[in-house]
Amino acid sequence: MGADVELDVLSLNAWFGEKQALKNINIQIPRRTVTAVIGPSGCGKSTFIRCMNRMHELIPGARVAGKVLLGGEDIYTEMDAMDVRRKVGMVFQKPNPFPNMSVEDNVVAGLKLSGGYKKGELGRIAEKNLRAVGLWDEVKDELKKSGASLSGGQQQRLCIARALAMEPEVILMDEPTSALDPASTAKIEELVQKLKAYATIIIITHNVQQAARVSDMTCFFYLGEVVEFDNTKALFEAPKNPLTERYITGRFG
Amino acid sequence: MGLLSRKAHDKAARGLCLLITLSAISPLIWIVASIIANGASAISWEFVTSLPKPFGEGGGGIGHAILGTFIINALASVWGIPAGILTGMYLSEYDRSSRLGSAVRVAVESLAGVPSLIFGIFAFSLIVLAVRHYTALAAAFALGLMMIPLVAKATEESMKVVSDDIREAAIALGIPKWSRTIKIVLSIARGGVLSGSLLAFARISGETAPLLFTALFSYFWPTSLDQPMATLQVVIYNYALSGFDDWILKAWGASLLLMLLVLSINIAVRVSTRQKYAEGA
Repeated sequence: MGADVELDVLSLNAWFGEKQALKNINIQIPRRTVTAVIGPSGCGKSTFIRCMNRMHELIPGARVAGKVLLGGEDIYTEMDAMDVRRKVGMVFQKPNPFPNMSVEDNVVAGLKLSGGYKKGELGRIAEKNLRAVGLWDEVKDELKKSGASLSGGQQQRLCIARALAMEPEVILMDEPTSALDPASTAKIEELVQKLKAYATIIIITHNVQQAARVSDMTCFFYLGEVVEFDNTKALFEAPKNPLTERYITGRFG
Repeated sequence: MGLLSRKAHDKAARGLCLLITLSAISPLIWIVASIIANGASAISWEFVTSLPKPFGEGGGGIGHAILGTFIINALASVWGIPAGILTGMYLSEYDRSSRLGSAVRVAVESLAGVPSLIFGIFAFSLIVLAVRHYTALAAAFALGLMMIPLVAKATEESMKVVSDDIREAAIALGIPKWSRTIKIVLSIARGGVLSGSLLAFARISGETAPLLFTALFSYFWPTSLDQPMATLQVVIYNYALSGFDDWILKAWGASLLLMLLVLSINIAVRVSTRQKYAEGA
């Protein structure tokens, strides 16, 4: 695979105290694709993506072992955690714009507060990323209003623009539509397709149909292990593992 | 039990609550009314802008004490509020559960319960005895110390209620901890921090005991921070006990001014917190 692999996960294990949440995960996530992560609640999906930006280790008692190579570099031993998070962005389940900042400042918050930006460029960067998430026309007259004043769906797109502004290699999405109405969900799904042009996307979803709609690759987790990882079409049309088949047809989970 | 009887019980309970509430606030109303009744006639342009006249002469004012109260309160705030904010920030963001954190928390809570006189004696023995004269700086030290627990508690509480979702968003952007603590969490909590700071300011505006041991009193305009300085509180203390009608009247006037100062701070707190909720943050 080599150059085509964005994230190379090797023998990844993760714990919460004594409880092992991830067991020997080995997967290669191809560059500029959308990978859906599916599986029943508590199967380790969130833990897995939080190991990709080193947020799992922030929980007291949490531990990680194994390697995660981002562009060939191990994010645990060869990179600083802050640098990892600038290269691996994240969008959360509940939209969480900074309520103390305007719409515009929200987009560039990461650039502004982690230093290393060109002052005159922030306005242009904000516009570019708001356009990229299709929010510009809706908010261009309200750029100075609080980020918390937008609707839920708009807030979530604002959070995506905020992640995008860092020009990350990877964007992690932890059930980004589960708090949204169907119309906003459709917009985010459409957006995820477009975002492939900018970054590699890993998206957790509880909605199997959503995984089928938005992803190129699908990874099915069960009890902390990867049961099946394949391209989405193959996984949905001809699952190799009977567990996968039962999960995607809604017979458990 | 019949309906009528239940309604009667309800009425009786309400009446009792109202009666007790009234009896609780009536001393306050009494104090406020007598301060206004006795103090209003003392207030004049001369009263708030000029120095006391030599004893026996009429007229004169307490302008130096008004200025002194503002100077000492400002100096106390300049160090007490930042120290309190940093303490609250430490407790909320850096050390929620360790042994050191709980020790600091207990210390802050005990500090809040220490009688103000003790702060005065502490500043007296630490500073006044060392420099061998009464000084406004010692007063600012004592009052600043009293502000710390109030500001720290308000800061800690209002930073703690900032949702962890917001902290995670900042972490995921790779924003360094000090930056996300100040520019995001503290900034979101600023309404609570501001009202806590104003309340602490109001609280020290009423303290007399620490001033008697530190700034003491003066009959002149403040010329140096390292000298005794008059304050409204000590004017009230000195003049009210004097037994001269003119001075007692001036003590009432000083009380009215002090009450108006505290009242306006409390109104400022109300307004600032109302704005906070209106923003929805």
